[in-house]
Amino acid sequence: MADLLPPLGTAQTDGKTKVDEKVDYSNLPCPVPYEELHREAIMSLKADNFEGLRFDFSKGLNQKFSLSHSVMMGPTEVPSQSPDTTIKIPTAHYEFGANYFDPKLMLIGRLMTDGRLNARVKADLTDRLVLKANGQLTNEPHMSHAMFNFDYMGSDYRAQLQLGNSALIGATYIQSVTPRLSLGGEVFWAGVPRKSGIGYAARYDTDKMVATAQVASTGTIAMNYVQKISDKVSLATDFAYNYLSRDVVASVGYDYILRQSRVRGKIDSNGVASALLEERLSMGLNFLLSAELDHKKKDYKFGFGLTVG
Amino acid sequence: MAAKPCLKIKGRGKGPKGSSSSTTSSSSSKNELVKEWTNWSLKKAKVATQYGFIPLIIIIGMKSDPKPHLFQLLSPV
Repeated sequence: MADLLPPLGTAQTDGKTKVDEKVDYSNLPCPVPYEELHREAIMSLKADNFEGLRFDFSKGLNQKFSLSHSVMMGPTEVPSQSPDTTIKIPTAHYEFGANYFDPKLMLIGRLMTDGRLNARVKADLTDRLVLKANGQLTNEPHMSHAMFNFDYMGSDYRAQLQLGNSALIGATYIQSVTPRLSLGGEVFWAGVPRKSGIGYAARYDTDKMVATAQVASTGTIAMNYVQKISDKVSLATDFAYNYLSRDVVASVGYDYILRQSRVRGKIDSNGVASALLEERLSMGLNFLLSAELDHKKKDYKFGFGLTVG
Repeated sequence: MAAKPCLKIKGRGKGPKGSSSSTTSSSSSKNELVKEWTNWSLKKAKVATQYGFIPLIIIIGMKSDPKPHLFQLLSPV
């Protein structure tokens, strides 16, 4: 009997370590929100390049409350009939903004000199249900948009209901299937152009890479892959294909986060090369340089800016 | 207020349409009324938000702790 006991003891400890390495399917992490599925790729590949001068001044009155003043001068594009020519109209505007950040309530408002208001609200109704509202209100009739989202965060899933003006209803759902893989889907119904659509998405992430894929009945198929080479460098690539309009775009980009600056650049299969540099000149003072060269349309855009606070 | 829908004229206009279609016309007129009232209230809500959202944020911000002074709100520095 004494001979049998030690082998049983060792067998039990071996079995326990094997169970710890196996996946605990009842305790999966919460997935990223459906609209942020490809957030790492967006940071590298869809940096906000601008044209002209941009000056942002933000003044904090409080931990939670701050005001911002923003001046933008430069040409803005106007949609033109022929796709080859771009019409640009020089404009200058000033935007006043107020922000309030609370753990439970976030309010952001931006008002331009021509009366356009851009409002965002995020309120935690309970600790699992979040209401988000987003609106662009203009003085011109029928040009305003508003969207309300109700997000519910479960233990390993997220569900969202969207309601928009002009009768837009959408719902998304995303679920963690393994600690690294999450799958999700969305449906939407738009009242004004009587359209409805359904889409599926998948995301696989590890410490070093993130890969996502999305398919929608509106015709888009998008796949992207981001490789994190180190803390400072990450490379991303993206492929988008629309099977209804037969458009294909592929792009490759990089994101270097250095001590005093951050450089993001990308090159496209449409012949567009762009880059954005954000340099920290001193505490609270950031200098921005943006360039976008469209060799196919021969449209070159350069911008510079300063951000204070 | 010119934007308010005229209820009385509508009721009289749809009355003498015929007894067989009276139930359908009353339910469709109810739908029309609901649509008119929701459009009117949405328009007023949009104007109220456009004028009042930024003042609302400023009021909530000025009441939060630690209370900032009015001078800090207005000065450019």
